[in-house]
Amino acid sequence: MGSTSSSEVIIHSSAVEYAPLILILPMLAFPVILFLGKIFNGNPFWKNSVKEGGLIALVIMGASLLLSLWLIKDFIGSFDSMDEFTDWTWFTSSMWNSGNETDTVVFGFGVHVDHITVVLLFVASFLCLLINSFAIGYMNTDPINDNRNHRFYAEFVLFCSGMLGMVLADSFLWLFIFWELMGLCSYLLIGFYYERPSAAYAAKKAFLTTRVGDVFLMVGLAMLWTLFDGHLDYAYVFNDDNIAKVDPASLAWALGLMFIGAVGKSAQFPLHVWLPDAMEGPTPVSALIHAATMVNAGLYLVARMFPFFGSEHMFGQLDDLAFIIAAIGGTTAVMAAAIAFVQTDLKKVLAYSTMSQLAYIFTGLGAALYLANTLHWHGAGHEVEHGIVVVAFGAALFHLFNHAMAKGMLFMASGAVIHEVHHAHHHLHHDDHHHEPSPKELVMLATYLKEKDQSAFEFFTSIDLDGSGEIDTYEFKEALKSAEIADLPPWEMEPLMNAIDLDGNGKINVPELDLTLTRVLLEEAHDHDDHHEEFDAQSMDNMGGLASKMPITATAMLVGSLSIMGFPLIGGFWSKEGIIANTWRVALDDPRFMYPALCVLLGAGMTGFYMSRMWLKTFAGSPKGEVAAHVGPTNTWIKTPLFILTFITLSGIILASMGFTHWAPESKGELLHDSLLDGFLYEMEHAFANHDSFFFILSYVALFFGAIVGPGLALSLYGGKLDDGETAKPWFTPVLALNAAIKGRYHWDNSALSESTLATALSNRLYFDHYYDMAMLKIVAAFSFKAAEADSGVIDGTIKTIERTSQQLSTKLRALTTGSARDYILMAAIGTLVLFGLIWGVVA
Amino acid sequence: MSTGIDWISLPLVGLPLISSIVLLMFIGNVSNAAREKLGPSIRMVSLIISFIMLGVTTMMFFGQMDKMADWSTMNFGSFNFEFSYVWIESLGIRWSVGMDALSFPMVWLTTFLLPITIVATWNEKNASVYFPLILMMGGALIGVFVALDLFMFYVFWELTLIPMFFLILKWGGKDRKYASQKFFIYTFTASVVMLLGLVTLYLMQPEQIVTGGKYGTMTGRTFDIPTLVSHSQAANANGMWFLGESMQKVLFVMLMIGFLVKLPTVPFHTWLPDAHVQAPTGGSMLLAGVMLKMGAYGMFRLPLAMFPHAAEFFQFWLLALGMVSLVWGAVVCLGQTNLKKMVAYSSVSHMGVILIGIATMQPLGWAAALFMMFAHGIISPMLFAVCGAFKHHYHSMEIGAMRGMAKHSPWLATSMMFGWMASLGLPLLAGFVAELMMFLALWHFLAAENWSVFWMVGPAFVLAITAAYYLWSMQRTIFEGGDDTQPPASLHGAPVPDIADSEKIAMVIMAAFTILFGIMPWIALDMMNGWTVAFFEQLLIPILNGGV
Repeated sequence: MGSTSSSEVIIHSSAVEYAPLILILPMLAFPVILFLGKIFNGNPFWKNSVKEGGLIALVIMGASLLLSLWLIKDFIGSFDSMDEFTDWTWFTSSMWNSGNETDTVVFGFGVHVDHITVVLLFVASFLCLLINSFAIGYMNTDPINDNRNHRFYAEFVLFCSGMLGMVLADSFLWLFIFWELMGLCSYLLIGFYYERPSAAYAAKKAFLTTRVGDVFLMVGLAMLWTLFDGHLDYAYVFNDDNIAKVDPASLAWALGLMFIGAVGKSAQFPLHVWLPDAMEGPTPVSALIHAATMVNAGLYLVARMFPFFGSEHMFGQLDDLAFIIAAIGGTTAVMAAAIAFVQTDLKKVLAYSTMSQLAYIFTGLGAALYLANTLHWHGAGHEVEHGIVVVAFGAALFHLFNHAMAKGMLFMASGAVIHEVHHAHHHLHHDDHHHEPSPKELVMLATYLKEKDQSAFEFFTSIDLDGSGEIDTYEFKEALKSAEIADLPPWEMEPLMNAIDLDGNGKINVPELDLTLTRVLLEEAHDHDDHHEEFDAQSMDNMGGLASKMPITATAMLVGSLSIMGFPLIGGFWSKEGIIANTWRVALDDPRFMYPALCVLLGAGMTGFYMSRMWLKTFAGSPKGEVAAHVGPTNTWIKTPLFILTFITLSGIILASMGFTHWAPESKGELLHDSLLDGFLYEMEHAFANHDSFFFILSYVALFFGAIVGPGLALSLYGGKLDDGETAKPWFTPVLALNAAIKGRYHWDNSALSESTLATALSNRLYFDHYYDMAMLKIVAAFSFKAAEADSGVIDGTIKTIERTSQQLSTKLRALTTGSARDYILMAAIGTLVLFGLIWGVVA
Repeated sequence: MSTGIDWISLPLVGLPLISSIVLLMFIGNVSNAAREKLGPSIRMVSLIISFIMLGVTTMMFFGQMDKMADWSTMNFGSFNFEFSYVWIESLGIRWSVGMDALSFPMVWLTTFLLPITIVATWNEKNASVYFPLILMMGGALIGVFVALDLFMFYVFWELTLIPMFFLILKWGGKDRKYASQKFFIYTFTASVVMLLGLVTLYLMQPEQIVTGGKYGTMTGRTFDIPTLVSHSQAANANGMWFLGESMQKVLFVMLMIGFLVKLPTVPFHTWLPDAHVQAPTGGSMLLAGVMLKMGAYGMFRLPLAMFPHAAEFFQFWLLALGMVSLVWGAVVCLGQTNLKKMVAYSSVSHMGVILIGIATMQPLGWAAALFMMFAHGIISPMLFAVCGAFKHHYHSMEIGAMRGMAKHSPWLATSMMFGWMASLGLPLLAGFVAELMMFLALWHFLAAENWSVFWMVGPAFVLAITAAYYLWSMQRTIFEGGDDTQPPASLHGAPVPDIADSEKIAMVIMAAFTILFGIMPWIALDMMNGWTVAFFEQLLIPILNGGV
């Protein structure tokens, strides 16, 4: 709360007492699922009835959601912050400042509930449950996941625990702890398919990139901790009296460093490179962690700083930081949207869209924080300013909510599409491609024998060195070497051996060799006719026309896309218009903000384009390739969450009418409307008939870009009518008809544009990843290798030199061993004198 | 001097030392075949003895022994289970033992690691000699921590070298001869400097007219540590440097040389990677887990307590050395291709944290150092156990020799990931608490004393680098491959094994305690905090207030 003072009423709700369970339940489920999975792996009951732990997770997440809803209900009933349960002391230590005593420092844990908590808590617990359901439908039906889903669900619930814990925690310290816990789960889940090098690389990249941000966050926290005399709990640091004692410049530095942590976690420029690669994880992970929840952590952290900006004691002192936040947001919004233009991978488009939309929220938060910092908005006589700040903050928070719902849904829908396309591909190509291609060495061997006109038997006897009638790995290796085909290390021999060794006894006999070589030759001839490329189930180039085949999924995708685009009356519209309007409001006041303001306006049009492009390429037009023509509908576990989220996104107007556009710290009941109708009229008036002429024009300009120009361009380029005989649900008819009409009339050739330098740069992600990798390799890694050399060469080398010298010296000293008693007495005397001299010198 | 049962001398020090010597003498007199046969029984005897010791220290923690004070509220200079016997009366040498909240966590840690080490290296070859040596190691280490007499302290300090020397020499890798000699000579040379310092300290102390008791009948001087500390306290109270300014500085440096080499700190660290890479798993576990902490323990016990003026005088150098160890250790880690060497250098880096914690001259920083000693004592043995298992199963220590370990050896892969994550300071695991406290204490110190903020760059940089080298090594061992990657050539086509059940047990216990002390750090931190507060309020704060 902006000015939480000691006089404020703290509500004692029994829901708060149970609130720790919201995060403790999933945390306890983590080891349970892991160990049960380890024990019962492969057991039919565990696999089919418990869904390899999926149902346990579902029950736990359901309980967490219920407890969260109870807490939210109690909060809405009172609109006061609930901040009790700080009686759990983690550990205590001491500091010494001055005087003769040390001061005790307490690190405790508790639950803090306010407006921001409530939004994030609902988003997190609700989406955790829905995506859990989706995961059961997605993960458990994919044979590649067989017998390892328990690992997925265990890590999944641990992640949920981290997210819920971060939201509920009552101090920046515990925010950071759960933040890191989420980072760990993100790492584990991106690397879920650990056998893929790309997944291993992506996991490492995600952890390290966010770690760079985390380092700054940790330094920022240390600064904050020192500024506030050893406190990081919200109750203390948000207290106005304590803020008054703090030097604004130092606070700005601390918050700025913490913001870098948020940049890393929310994948903003320039620490954005990890998010697209993170799509290597299973789709439920992309939906939950890398779209709907964890990436919001950075936003949450920035939103948490609101009381500092809102404090009268910091008036006008933190506006530079607010600008930096908005500028980073604006930059990322445009950059990510531009890269999304050229992506063909369905999930990558969504990843860049996530990045871009999070950037919108950052911009909105930056504007809101600027307003809070530069307006006197507390107390009587400042009701107008109060309203401005609350609406600006509320828009950002509401966009976070809308984006999380829509993007979670979009990812689940994309997962459903990928799942079914993959399934169709598997089904179609199961018969003629059931075997792996033969190792190339075997092909070469078969060709070699054919050319030399040598029979398998002749070859066999020539290589059977020990005459045992069977060939073992060593003999076969030697044969390949002598035939100048390959000189392979033993571990690469094994696949060759396995390919030939039909009975699996580890040795090759004549019939096995003969059969295999014949088969290899036949295949080789066949493959030349019908060379089959690697099929990419995520590429939109393999989709198209799916609207008729997956109606629920297509609907969800359409609604989600419209929400992200800010199409009138659907979820995201209300919040996006608000963010654009508030950024422009600040820009009128401070010309620096023209930059983010222009960025978000431009970004609105770009969003319209890439989201429409994605939907049209996937669902409209005719199927590209035979796979897309054979896609079927998806299963109930997947459909249910899609259905629920479609409903929630569509009902954005209801939420807006209820006053959720004003849902911000310090907004009490007075801003909520008396009836839904009043609220509806109020919102409609503000959106479409603003009294201020500037904002009236602005709202239509934004609408023009976001809902007409962007989608219009996409409609003219992509999609088209469905194939004849395909029928789609009636609500697709206008979209498809519009698409067909515009494409038919205004279609233009964009190939020159798509081959331009800019497009190439965009498809290479503007070379950020390249240069980061280069920097790591050429600077950090090179330096560390040099350091390791120096360590053994210089530091250890010095020691070795001393060692050698002393050995040589001792050889010489041995010459002193003359055997004469007189010499010894002399030496002893000199030694004693020197020793005395030394001690004398030291003492005197 | 408390009365009752001396729970330290016999059960914790005498039992392991005497039993190991008896076992070794017995083994020395039997034939080779009999040795082989007796191996399992000797292993079991060693395990039982280590369990008895663990039982004693655990009961001490829960306050079950008679007339012991609560660990977290003890006064500075008071000890639990304090017992003293005359050893060499003429010189004032006594066998004095006792424990306070500084030494008790270390003693408990040693008794905790002994059974873990025995279980983790259950199938070590030449068992009938190996396990008694591990026991002897434990006894000597505990002797260092409980000694309240300088002479006794030094004897045990050097005694620890002997079993470790033989562990490396007899069970080590290819270059074990070189490594064991380097280890011995390097640390011994440093200890000799320390010994000179101790003897000078003995000679320079004010001579007592009334002799007897603690004071030697011939010399009128004492080796008793608490007495010397109380002399120092008395001098401080009068605003004087104990033993005079220049003498104190010289003695501080001489003692610190011994401890800094043992810790070890850059640039005196190069014995450590060699010793670790060549040492057997059990040796590495005890070496990294407890032996390195002898250095940090010694600093707290002797130079910091006796020469606080000099400690403040050398504050900059302590901080600088700590920073160099921290950063250099981490950077060199990133450049390693040998898994065990990487882990060894990470120990160097973590020991830098201890030095920085000390240099902050803040109770928070000192508690951070104490907790780091403890947490690293649980985590690093796990790292070395993982390295040992890796070497055992894949016959190579090279990172990248084996990929897709998650597929072939899920237990080993999980243990590795857990250990690595704990070591890089993941929250809710023990290491994080120490790192967090160090971070806060350092920043607080820099801000309060107006030191440059650039001191913060080192630790911040290392946080990122540490994650980099651990994740990089995991990417190349645990991940990648699976079905596609075949086992390494060194396995000659044999199936890839997972770790043995005994190793699994050891890993699970170490992981459990890492989590326990990560979630509930107060179990150990309360007493450490009590000790540092007492130390600061009764010894250091007057000096910090007065300035030099």
